[in-house]
Amino acid sequence: MAGLVTTFGAGAMTNSIREIRDADFLFVIGSNTSEAHPIIAMEMKQALHRGATMVVADPRAIWMTNLAEKHLRLNPGTDVWLLNAMAHVIIEEGLTDEAFIRDNTEGFEAVKETVARYTPEEAESVTGVPAEDIRWTARRYATTERAGIYYTLGITEHSHGTDNVYALSNLVLMTGHLGKPSAGMNPLRGQNNVQGANDAGASPIFLPGYQRVDDPEARAKYEEAWGVPLSPEPGLNLNEMMKKVGGQVKGLFVMGEDIVISEPNVSRLEAGLNNVDFVVVQDLFLNETCRFADVILPAACFAEKEGTFTNSERRVQRVRKAVEPPGQARADWEILVDLAARCGADWGYTSAAEVYDELARFAPKFAGISHARIDEGIGLQWPCPDDEHPGTVYLHEGGVLRGRGAFQAVEFRPPIEMPDPEYPLVLSTGRTLYHYNAATQTRRGLGANAKQPAAFIEIHRRDARARGIESGEMIEVSTRRGVVRCRAIVSRQVRPGSIWMPLHFPDARANLLTTDAGDPITGTAEYKVCAAEVKKLDAATLDESEREPARFRGSYYAERGPV
Amino acid sequence: MRIQIDGRDVEFEPGETILEVARREGLEIPTLCHDPRLDPAGACRTCLVEVDGWRRMPPSCATKAQDGMVVRTRTERVGRHQRALLALYLADHVQGADACETGAPCELHAMAAKVGAPTDWTPLEPVRVGRDDPNPYIEFRADRCIACARCTRYCAEVEAVTAISLVGRGSKTTIGTVDASSLLDTSCELCGGCIDTCPTGAMTEKRPLLQLAPPERQLEKVRTTCNYCGVGCQLDLNVDPATKKIVKITSPPVGTPPNDGNLCVKGRFAYEFVEHPDRLTTPLVRGEDGALREASWDEALDRAARGLMGVKERYGADALGFVSSSRCTMEENYLVQKLSRAAFGTNNCHQCAAT
Repeated sequence: MAGLVTTFGAGAMTNSIREIRDADFLFVIGSNTSEAHPIIAMEMKQALHRGATMVVADPRAIWMTNLAEKHLRLNPGTDVWLLNAMAHVIIEEGLTDEAFIRDNTEGFEAVKETVARYTPEEAESVTGVPAEDIRWTARRYATTERAGIYYTLGITEHSHGTDNVYALSNLVLMTGHLGKPSAGMNPLRGQNNVQGANDAGASPIFLPGYQRVDDPEARAKYEEAWGVPLSPEPGLNLNEMMKKVGGQVKGLFVMGEDIVISEPNVSRLEAGLNNVDFVVVQDLFLNETCRFADVILPAACFAEKEGTFTNSERRVQRVRKAVEPPGQARADWEILVDLAARCGADWGYTSAAEVYDELARFAPKFAGISHARIDEGIGLQWPCPDDEHPGTVYLHEGGVLRGRGAFQAVEFRPPIEMPDPEYPLVLSTGRTLYHYNAATQTRRGLGANAKQPAAFIEIHRRDARARGIESGEMIEVSTRRGVVRCRAIVSRQVRPGSIWMPLHFPDARANLLTTDAGDPITGTAEYKVCAAEVKKLDAATLDESEREPARFRGSYYAERGPV
Repeated sequence: MRIQIDGRDVEFEPGETILEVARREGLEIPTLCHDPRLDPAGACRTCLVEVDGWRRMPPSCATKAQDGMVVRTRTERVGRHQRALLALYLADHVQGADACETGAPCELHAMAAKVGAPTDWTPLEPVRVGRDDPNPYIEFRADRCIACARCTRYCAEVEAVTAISLVGRGSKTTIGTVDASSLLDTSCELCGGCIDTCPTGAMTEKRPLLQLAPPERQLEKVRTTCNYCGVGCQLDLNVDPATKKIVKITSPPVGTPPNDGNLCVKGRFAYEFVEHPDRLTTPLVRGEDGALREASWDEALDRAARGLMGVKERYGADALGFVSSSRCTMEENYLVQKLSRAAFGTNNCHQCAAT
């Protein structure tokens, strides 16, 4: 989000989802698209069906790599090397769009100077991707008119996540693949309303609509509207906040997040939570964080309330009530209105639509959007500045929103924690098709349990054999921060030296293992790289059910055994 | 470039099929195996039309419009063909529209009624076999299948996993998997696209059947946005008006952005949590003894407000942290930041997704 605001002036997908099927070249990096965004994967598959070419850059073999022309299997955390080397090739071979660079960008010289040092040959030794593949990808990307970049958390969940986004932006700007249909830069948002939560100002530095809290003009507008003085000091981002829980942070209000599952290095967070004065949790279920809560407020789910979500392509869409919430549960917005009233703030909203109207009134990007307009047709894509505006299908048409696209020269920084003799494996974490994040919802479903009944870790045959591990067996995974037990899947999906684990399971919390080292700008933690070791568990320590090998059905990458 | 359809002179773009041109003009040509998301198959023969100068009737779904072509969709010959064809399909299908429609509406019965196809042709011996499949979501009912291959083509072309395919020959042609395995043991991702595209309800949701839910026609559909990933798929919550519960989730018509009638396993099936007995139904507060106990909204909200304000009084506003959620609505995120900034005076407000 912050990366793209800096380089282009808006942190969102520049294209629409519907445009993906018309792309001719797809560069998918750090996105397990068919599992995390299945419907976007379907659009990509349609493009391929039409004859498009796809390159997937990912340390793991995923379903999309089966469909790709090339799989750039880079070492975890070496993205900047790969991307700078691609920029190197584009400049060296004269494939840049000089007119676009001259008219629409600034700072190209610095990037040119930096990437001159990132030769594909040296990149091969760092990333593990053959130099020829880097050259081929760079050429195809630069010379295809409708070329789009698609990325997800494999790019951002690093201590150098913002650098990765900068390096990708540089490729876009030097080739002029922006402001056109099916050509652009597309972060695929992980949650239904990632875009909307940021748009609405749930951010320590931005008021609604990306207006900075340290901008006196923006603040004055809200001070007048809300009738109270506002703090000009940027707040703590989530990563800092979690590190300061129990220290500076003595009281927490947590809505709809299970922080002791989803945040990194949770044993430290839990120690902090034992030292806070007061915690309120507002959720659908008695989640794990409720163990630390003083007050728990039961909330309605999406099918039980009115509102809007904003998707990855900036489309504001309606959430509509179909059924009543269970028992006394209430919509989050209703609870917030009542809570505010007891804290001395009488807001007086009687519907979600009124809340949206206030949001739109002071944020020009959304000013033309309302519940009523969405109800007349389909969702509207921002920017949508007035009631007549039809919404914006793709961004930066006829000029970069920021004015000039900002090149950002970035140097490679290795991940914070690299493997060593004690912890020789690289652990990455992620999401699977059948489960969703903290899995408070999907664990309560039949399909997920039929396909993935237990927590697991993927390990390469070579690493498994060296440790005497068979597929389906219980193993122990440890890092400097914690230990969890789960099943091993001996899999071709990971490469030797790497292991991969989904974050969904409360009985084997991947985030006991992960590091909370964060990106210096966004605070996003390095969920994708930390040093780990696995070992076979002594049969004597297992209970009856653990001795039986677990069955993960239809796992097409599994090498052998009962999985 | 122009063609004439039923006397109308129509312009078309090169590459368009007769069916596409006709539908754009609002002319109705019946189809069973056609789905705009799929390559034309020309398999069901329902969409045959007459073209002047052509001896055979071509399938309009798979025949490209050509300049100067004269097409007739409502001739006596076309009508006779449609009635006979649909009567044959009905003979190889569950007898009676009511018996058939225990799930989604059956396009075959509706179409047969529309063209006046005879319904009294002797039913064929049912020879098409299904299979028992312990997967929790997708049911294949062989007695309703007409082997139009929409499901298998969807699986290959749109979902691109090819978990199901046509197996067998002739009247025994059915929908199968490798080694007749359960979908759970194949590359199937349980997206349920086969259900969405099936014209006859042969591929259908398993759980509504088990729960004896009313057929889809009697359900109330509420259009909303999926609550999982950031694609923002539009979906229809199908509510049983008698029980006021969600019976199933279906996708809106093809062409509706952003998902074009597609859904994934989570969007289509992972709604069991809504009715789950683990849902919180009452506010809880922690008592002196450290245990949680039930409380009224008044008591819980008072406790929450006093607790948060107490922290502010003791340590200042920046000792508070507000964790909002990218799973909640725009409105709710707006209110959390307003609560944090305007009611408590701190910018310590964030959620897990700001990268």
